[in-house]
Amino acid sequence: MKKYKLNEITMMQYIMFNSGMAVSFAFIDIPTIMANKAGTDGWIPILIGGLVTMLASVIIIQLMKRYPDGTLFDLLTHYVGRWAGITVAAIFTIYFLLFSYVGIVYTVRLIKGRLLIETPAILILVMLMIPTYTIARSGLRIIGRYAEFVVFISLYIPFIYIYTYKNMHPLFLLPILKDGWQPVLSAVPSTFFGYIGFVSSIILYPFLKNKKQASAAILISNGLTMLAYLFITLVCFVSLSPDESMKIHQPTIYVLKSIELSFIEQVEGLFIAFYTFIFSMSWIPTLFMMAFSFTWIIRKQDHRPTLRAVIALIVVSMLFFFPTYDQLLTLIKLSSLLVAMKCVSNWKRY
Amino acid sequence: MNLFSWLGRKKYSHTTKSKPDHPLPPSARSEPISLSLEHNLHKLGDLFTDTPDMIIRTLVLPDTGEQAALVYLEGLSDKNAINNNVIKPIAGGIGSIESASVTVGRVGRLREWGPITNAILKGSSVLFIDGRTDAILLGTEGWPQRAIEDPQLETSLKGAHQGFIESSGQNIALLRRYLPHQELKIREHQVGRRGDTRVSIIYIADVTNPEVLKELEDRIRHLDVDVIINTGELAELIEDNPYSPFPQLLLTERPDTAASQLVQGRIVVLVDRSPSVIVGPATFVSFFQSVDDYSTRWSIATFIRMLRFFAFFVAICLPAFYIAVSSYNFELIPVKLLLTIGEYRGSVPFSPFIEAIFMEITLEMMREAGVRLPAPVGQTVGIVGGIVIGQAIVQAGLISNIMVIVVSFTAIASFILPNYDFVAGVRIIRFLMMIAASFFGLFGIVVGLMTLTGHLISLESLGTPFGSPFAPMRWSDWKDTFVRAPLWKMIKRPVSTKALQSIRQGDNKHKGEGS
Repeated sequence: MKKYKLNEITMMQYIMFNSGMAVSFAFIDIPTIMANKAGTDGWIPILIGGLVTMLASVIIIQLMKRYPDGTLFDLLTHYVGRWAGITVAAIFTIYFLLFSYVGIVYTVRLIKGRLLIETPAILILVMLMIPTYTIARSGLRIIGRYAEFVVFISLYIPFIYIYTYKNMHPLFLLPILKDGWQPVLSAVPSTFFGYIGFVSSIILYPFLKNKKQASAAILISNGLTMLAYLFITLVCFVSLSPDESMKIHQPTIYVLKSIELSFIEQVEGLFIAFYTFIFSMSWIPTLFMMAFSFTWIIRKQDHRPTLRAVIALIVVSMLFFFPTYDQLLTLIKLSSLLVAMKCVSNWKRY
Repeated sequence: MNLFSWLGRKKYSHTTKSKPDHPLPPSARSEPISLSLEHNLHKLGDLFTDTPDMIIRTLVLPDTGEQAALVYLEGLSDKNAINNNVIKPIAGGIGSIESASVTVGRVGRLREWGPITNAILKGSSVLFIDGRTDAILLGTEGWPQRAIEDPQLETSLKGAHQGFIESSGQNIALLRRYLPHQELKIREHQVGRRGDTRVSIIYIADVTNPEVLKELEDRIRHLDVDVIINTGELAELIEDNPYSPFPQLLLTERPDTAASQLVQGRIVVLVDRSPSVIVGPATFVSFFQSVDDYSTRWSIATFIRMLRFFAFFVAICLPAFYIAVSSYNFELIPVKLLLTIGEYRGSVPFSPFIEAIFMEITLEMMREAGVRLPAPVGQTVGIVGGIVIGQAIVQAGLISNIMVIVVSFTAIASFILPNYDFVAGVRIIRFLMMIAASFFGLFGIVVGLMTLTGHLISLESLGTPFGSPFAPMRWSDWKDTFVRAPLWKMIKRPVSTKALQSIRQGDNKHKGEGS
């Protein structure tokens, strides 16, 4: 019973899919959030959060192994009943919708704020929807290839940050654990919003070509996510003084201001423009998975009508409501809550 | 009246709406020929009205005294063969016709009018004999064809100097010379109701993936067209996504390229009467490879490959980047350069976008003029273009110096890419990029690149991914992309062709390599 044979993805695509989705916009904000919660020890909660997520995702994969050729929804329908499947699919639909919405609006805000100040936000949004539709309509295999490609061409990012070495002062990190474990542990929950992308691994599991690699893949993917966060947080913490770290908005971009090249005056603008590739990972796959969950509920095969409708909806909604960064963060926390709810409800059933 | 009826072609009362068909109706095609020669010749006259190039030579067979008539089309048949190998021996009269006297290679017997008309139209001659119910087919085809020359479109420094020509028989011979192996198989199909074009699918049976072959064969078999004049038409009809600006099948005029693609597990499609062949399944990288890469030193070939990929991005993005930088993202360029650009731009009355579009269109017109004009007149284009684009337009203050540099750089970059069809796609994309950049600056370019990426990775060629080996990532195929690895390292055939036999060579490590 191989329902999704035509849409198989490789292990590499599975890894890139999950990491790309998780990293996307959290990469820009995580240093500030961590600095505010745990000061210069902010990198420790990232490690702890990463390990916790790895554990959780491995458990989920073990559960999914019981029913390897169906999605979570099929699994629930099989064991509990169709309504359980529909409920969870609905939660997923809403969650992915929220996630992709936040991703898109965050990107539009950032582009409008830093690159195209005069351009109406709606135009930027419409522009972004062109590649979104081109890629998301073609199905999972194409999105998998896209994810792979995006992560691959984004490998330049660490090198740019290493170029800021002149302004780095590792002493800023010392002393470690100066306020004890209390602030560090209290910051762990807020790292979860950065790792929350791992839920996609549940949806993607049945599409994975070689199921035996699933656990390894999910560990690698979470490991990559963790490394990315750890890297950027450490870079920001050693480049900015402890007080600056807390005050500066989007330090990930601010740090780049120190780079000067003979042929490019400011790397920042170029970086933001090309970072759109990574940003797109936060909404192209999620929009697809949203459409996928929704079409599962209404028992259709073609996900494209849903996709078109949602894209139109997002564009129209932008005419009336353009959320601020703070509102976006509230939204993402709300969606994390949804996932938590879902995890609890699943736990009861098993 | 239908609102959109004007979109369709105008219909006139005297045109038939039926589909093009075989010249003979189905009932007449299987009609047997008559015993009487006179009756047959009469029927022939009915079938071929207004055919002044048809020759009917009546003969008397000296042995038996039977009346006979030799029918052929002048110009399509080899006159020497007919005179010396058919008419002369028959008139000399020794033995029966099929066994001895006619000295032609291909001889057959035909009983029905359908095959007979086909044979005559394709250059064979047919001998009718009074009192017999079958006619004799004599393979005397000989039509005008040119000699084998250097390929026009794809010149090469070190490759062979033989290009495909307009006859598929000769072309098959050119390929067989490279691969004299019994696993080299040919499947023939007839395509077109009027043209009846012979399309030959060539593959290596124990290397090519049968699924890909079946896909290609199905697509060719389902074609229902009038005639296929050129290979490009066939390619458009069987391509996976005809709306894409990029070709998904490689067209080549070079037998050496075709042969090397065959051994990589790809399939070659020959179209009779056309000098280029289709190679599929192609990938994005196929359009960056040239046959010279494999005969120059690998380090140099690698450098040239990288140059081509760089040129690909320059050809797509450079004018757009200029527009973006000079109208939106000033902060990117160093102050000194910005001042220089400003100094030149100061006297130009147009926005960078108008400037760029104007220059690019001029360049495209010049290129097109150069292609279509006969060679002696073609030089004029170069001179006029050189003067106009070069100095005069800058001195008149219409276009800035920097723009001229940008345009020339773009032009050179697009000429580096070895495949003509692919470059044509790049040109279209360049204009779209310029429009995107004129509205959104650098962000527009990135969104454009994103859409381009999305488009390229969702393309397929005969059901295999076009974006391979980049997306999906196939590391083992990377040996023939940005780098052209040493030949003895390329032990496996590319994964993207789904070849059955993946190993292509043994250990060829150099003996002198310090072991």
